[in-house]
Amino acid sequence: MAEEVKITQGDLYASRIFFYAAVPLLKVVCESEAKFGDKFKGRNFVFQISALYDGEGSENGKMGTHFVVEDGVWTTQAGKVHENPDVELCFSNLRKFNVFFAGKGMVSVLPKMKGVFKNFGIFKDILTALLRMAGLMQAKDKPEKLEDQIMLCKLYLYLLPNGISQLNKMGHPDIKAVTENSPDRTYALIIEDYPELQSWLRMKMGKSMSGRGEYKRCKPFLAMKFKNPSLALDIMMSKADMVAYIREEKLFVDGAPEFAGVVGGLLFKVAYYALGEYLAAEA
Amino acid sequence: MAGGITFTTVDSTKLATAEIFGKTIAELGEKDPSIVCLSPDLAGSTKMVDFLTKYPERFFNVGIAEQNMIGIASGMAKCGLTPFASCFSVFASLRALDQVHTDVCYQNVNVKIIGTHSGTSFGQGGSTHHAIEDIAVVRALVNMTVIVPADGVETANAVKAAAAVKGPFYIRINRGFDNVVYNKSDYGFKVGKAVEMVEGTDITIIACGSCVYQAVQAANILNFDHKIKARVLNMHTIKPIDKDAVLKAVADTRKIVTVEDHTVIGGLGSAVAEVIVEGGKSCILRKLGLQDKFSAIGLHEDLMAMHEIDAQGIVKNALEVMKIDAEKDEDWGDEV
Repeated sequence: MAEEVKITQGDLYASRIFFYAAVPLLKVVCESEAKFGDKFKGRNFVFQISALYDGEGSENGKMGTHFVVEDGVWTTQAGKVHENPDVELCFSNLRKFNVFFAGKGMVSVLPKMKGVFKNFGIFKDILTALLRMAGLMQAKDKPEKLEDQIMLCKLYLYLLPNGISQLNKMGHPDIKAVTENSPDRTYALIIEDYPELQSWLRMKMGKSMSGRGEYKRCKPFLAMKFKNPSLALDIMMSKADMVAYIREEKLFVDGAPEFAGVVGGLLFKVAYYALGEYLAAEA
Repeated sequence: MAGGITFTTVDSTKLATAEIFGKTIAELGEKDPSIVCLSPDLAGSTKMVDFLTKYPERFFNVGIAEQNMIGIASGMAKCGLTPFASCFSVFASLRALDQVHTDVCYQNVNVKIIGTHSGTSFGQGGSTHHAIEDIAVVRALVNMTVIVPADGVETANAVKAAAAVKGPFYIRINRGFDNVVYNKSDYGFKVGKAVEMVEGTDITIIACGSCVYQAVQAANILNFDHKIKARVLNMHTIKPIDKDAVLKAVADTRKIVTVEDHTVIGGLGSAVAEVIVEGGKSCILRKLGLQDKFSAIGLHEDLMAMHEIDAQGIVKNALEVMKIDAEKDEDWGDEV
């Protein structure tokens, strides 16, 4: 039974981003960094993050995302609730889940932890990877080490287009206004000389999808190409002005430049929910 | 009969493609004494008067006998001359087809055929004088290079390129009044290489001849009125076609509209379709032109509008293509 708390539309948007775009990045951390991934070699388990919720889109009174790990290989089931996971972090409601993942007061919203004692080794290693992800994504300033910058870029690049697509699929009016009027177009985010640091968002007449790596179906309608991870983080962490960076040739826009602003607006909309800004606005 | 019909463009000297052809061939004649010109009693209409005046001994009026003209040109080429044989496209490609096939292409001789009054550009002349199948016919001929210049400047480039290369050429120009596409000749004309007129990634418009100007105008309208970024390719050489440019258009935009003042069967659109099919990557293709029917009789610009190969027609069709949902079964899931 979910705790009595009024879940707003903003909560639903934020939780959609977290469950479908942010939580799945745990797999990215484990696959990208051997010090985390190696710990799961040969292991088999199901790990789930969930929140109690009875509304639309819930399964068995929950919303959640789970990972199936088979012989150390991760498969993500975004937005899907597993009935009997080996390890689970279950929040008492969506709001607390959002507050936790937005980094807005973690202690007060700690989840119930299931299967921890029985599978303590797995839990410990998952927690370590989760803390790595949270440490990067909730930092106020960009990391100094290049390897950390690369990892954080990857997380942002994979999160942001997916987040936009999730909001579109939820029918967010601001996002829908863009996608419904869009012909078949793809917007790409690229960090030059780092093939894995690319992601894209495709939209067509109200539909949307996001992906990682190079977009190969056709030439992206617009590609925002950053010179290096550090400069990319300046923009993605709102530490620099996009127009100034374009002018200074730190960011190259390949395509119709007037649409760079459109992309920027969509990205900020994801940040509005993912950083928990909506919580203050709704308070 | 070509004479006596009211021209519809005021500044005829500036815009006349055939005039520029006439001046170019006269210039080339001065540099290259092997160049000779032949005409089936159409020196005036095909604008070869400058050459005739300068080099009367190298100009041959064969009378109203296009088939003989091609045969004579072939013989001259066999003797080492570089004949430029000019007549209405409809007669060069259909009436004289056997001679073009056997005397020119089969012999692979150095004859340059300048087809004038092409497409529906001689609109008032009626269907007997419209050349709407000539590209389809001549591009099927072995050894033949086929060029459809966009305007006068490109015609000059095409004629110079043809003179510089041995072998049969068919250069398809209009009655004489084309909108100006190029202000300078050094824009990078090369036989077999398309020219990108406008950048874009939403859709590609591939045009030739008088339709290039219309395509550029259409791209501007699409951009300013509809925020659609259309790429425009001037595919001046139909054979050998620029496969790389077509395949790049497929890969980049996945939607192509071809525009030609010609039947949609066998011309530019078909040539592009052949490349697409061989490339193996799917795309939406719409071919604009005469939809397997003879044209009405009228002014060229009116006929272009009727056949939707003017700017407005291209815009209308491009917008329709943009709305085609050809991949309905796609999985619109997000990668995680």
